[in-house]
Amino acid sequence: MNEVGFILSIMPGLLHGAITSVFVALAAISLGIILGITVCQMRRSQYWPLVRAAGLYISFLRGIPVLVILFLLFYMPSAVNIEVPSLLVAVLALGLNTSAFQAEIYRGGFNSIPAGQIEAAKALGLSRMRILTRIQLPQVLSLTGPELVNEFIILFKNSSLISVIGVTELMRRSEQLVSTTYKPVEVYLAAAIIYLALCLIISRLGERLKGKH
Amino acid sequence: MEETITPAIKISDVRKRYGQHEVLQGIDMEVMPREVVCLIGPSGSGKSTLLRCVNFLEVYDEGEILVEGALMGYEMQYNGTRRRAGEARIRDSRRDLGMVFQHFNLWPHMTAMENVTEALISVAGKPRATAEKKGMECLERVGLAEKAHSYPAKLSGGQQQRVAIARALAMEPRIMLFDEPTSALDPELVGDVLQVMRSLASDGMTMLIVTHEMGFAAEVADRVVFMEGGSVVEQGPPDKLFHSPESPRLTAFLKSWTHRNGQVA
Amino acid sequence: MDALTTFLLRWQSFLAENGPDFAAALWVTIRISMVAIVCGLILGFAAELGRRICPWLRRPVACYVEFFRGTPLLIQLYLLYYGGPRVGIVLDAEPAGMLGMSLYAAAYFCEIFRAGFESIPEGQREAAHCLGIRPWRRLWRIELPQMAQIVLPPAVNQIITLIKDSAVLSIITVAELTKTATRIMNISFEIVMPLCLLALLYWIISEAVAVVSGKAEARLTRHLTR
Repeated sequence: MNEVGFILSIMPGLLHGAITSVFVALAAISLGIILGITVCQMRRSQYWPLVRAAGLYISFLRGIPVLVILFLLFYMPSAVNIEVPSLLVAVLALGLNTSAFQAEIYRGGFNSIPAGQIEAAKALGLSRMRILTRIQLPQVLSLTGPELVNEFIILFKNSSLISVIGVTELMRRSEQLVSTTYKPVEVYLAAAIIYLALCLIISRLGERLKGKH
Repeated sequence: MEETITPAIKISDVRKRYGQHEVLQGIDMEVMPREVVCLIGPSGSGKSTLLRCVNFLEVYDEGEILVEGALMGYEMQYNGTRRRAGEARIRDSRRDLGMVFQHFNLWPHMTAMENVTEALISVAGKPRATAEKKGMECLERVGLAEKAHSYPAKLSGGQQQRVAIARALAMEPRIMLFDEPTSALDPELVGDVLQVMRSLASDGMTMLIVTHEMGFAAEVADRVVFMEGGSVVEQGPPDKLFHSPESPRLTAFLKSWTHRNGQVA
Repeated sequence: MDALTTFLLRWQSFLAENGPDFAAALWVTIRISMVAIVCGLILGFAAELGRRICPWLRRPVACYVEFFRGTPLLIQLYLLYYGGPRVGIVLDAEPAGMLGMSLYAAAYFCEIFRAGFESIPEGQREAAHCLGIRPWRRLWRIELPQMAQIVLPPAVNQIITLIKDSAVLSIITVAELTKTATRIMNISFEIVMPLCLLALLYWIISEAVAVVSGKAEARLTRHLTR
């Protein structure tokens, strides 16, 4: 079976690309979590301009494709003669996109914590920051766990798109290999297997984390 | 004049295993026509499992369950062995068996009348007008004629259970199985359902009831069967079982029950 | 005031020149999405129903769903478009895109239908069983009516996601919205206006579908209401 041998031989090269994919995804996820929680809090605040702004942010970033966000961030700066490195654009684009989805996920989580718990905390004199970090966030993260894991898997798959702005991750490496070996089926199948495996790992990790609670 | 009457339900040496755990350990039991038999016992005793084996909602591994003389769930082969009966055959065998569940299992998107008439129309093939007439009769029987066009969400638990009973009755079963019919109800709603069951019993329905309502069993049952740990420990008329139990396990069970609920009857 | 007029004039001339192209591309995006959505719904439902009825279909369908949900759409399209000829499948960009997206969509809808089926309490099936109701009748009268309501929100979300995912087709050169925008960027040296128009169009589509389906859902729930 030449094909299997071939696939095995290109794996190391592809895995190098996969590592880039994973790093970009991790960076984007972190950005997404921070932005997501922030925007979510804005959405739940009492100042309606903040609520409006957050609403617009979420609606826009969820309403357009990731690819378009990538292009916007990649090409717009060149209109004012600024060049932004591809890697940064990739992380920003993926991060912004996921932050909008995460904001909605967190909102559901925050809303399902009974108001009585917050009242009790306030009555005991806890500060807003403390309430957020000690009472709300732990519960929100555990409530929204499955949805978040799902979102991360989606983000990881979306990372394949950053190949179009020149980031040499898994997708790009596969394209390069195809152009030198002329074996699209084997190469792309190999890449697909890597994506499958990594997505499986992410969901297993998610289940393990859920099990811990 | 002596006559051999076929038991409505005959359970012979029935066993069932979940992995290593033997849930039913050789049950022998009979329910005669027009008899009301109550199955009592602590949770985990296997009584619900046994009931569900009677209409093959659960598969029993060994032994025989004969419903009106016919083997339930299995077909005998030419060479003496048996194999699981097909879906259609099982459906047929269930024709004279009605079942009432602990959680009612009404279909929430259909009115009470629609729940009751669905099987009449699609299984018995009755035209809608006939089905609705019969449906109304059954709903009257359980005292819910005025709720015929209400949705389950708008009915109390006791009312939902009575609709479920009407739904089973509409198909004119000869034997009714009840799986803890009042366990999911608020205490004040239990009485209405028991009343309906009482009237069914006095009309001569053959009933096999798994229940925790000892007072009801004492009053209505012809025979009470006490199960624990997968076997029948003791059975007999309610008077004897509740007031002069023989086995120590039944005595202990009754003691803890009366401790929590007062005298049985 | 001067800046505003220049701004509006630039947009006016841009739209005059490129509006028709964008409109044509919008139609391509919509038609490809609609084909993918309809085929995906039908195939996905058939797959889910199939594996509920025939146990031997469970493994194949599970593998299919696992593959198409666990890998990026881009790889699936590349396999089909660039790898296809190696196994005898030669398709133009747009048909390849439609086929690829349909298979992709079907996997997601299959899972949505599965969740719908599983959310109906087993007791309702048991009750139907005990009354002798046949499986097809049970499906038609008891399971599907309840599923319609349950399945609608996730299905609508998936539809919006699919419309956005159609942008990926631009990478295999399908002349849809995103590809047209980048093409116009290249030939006209305009950057801001094509991209803004592109984003705006997708945004409007997403919001429009969400609003319309919200109304449809309210209407449907009222019809099935208790």
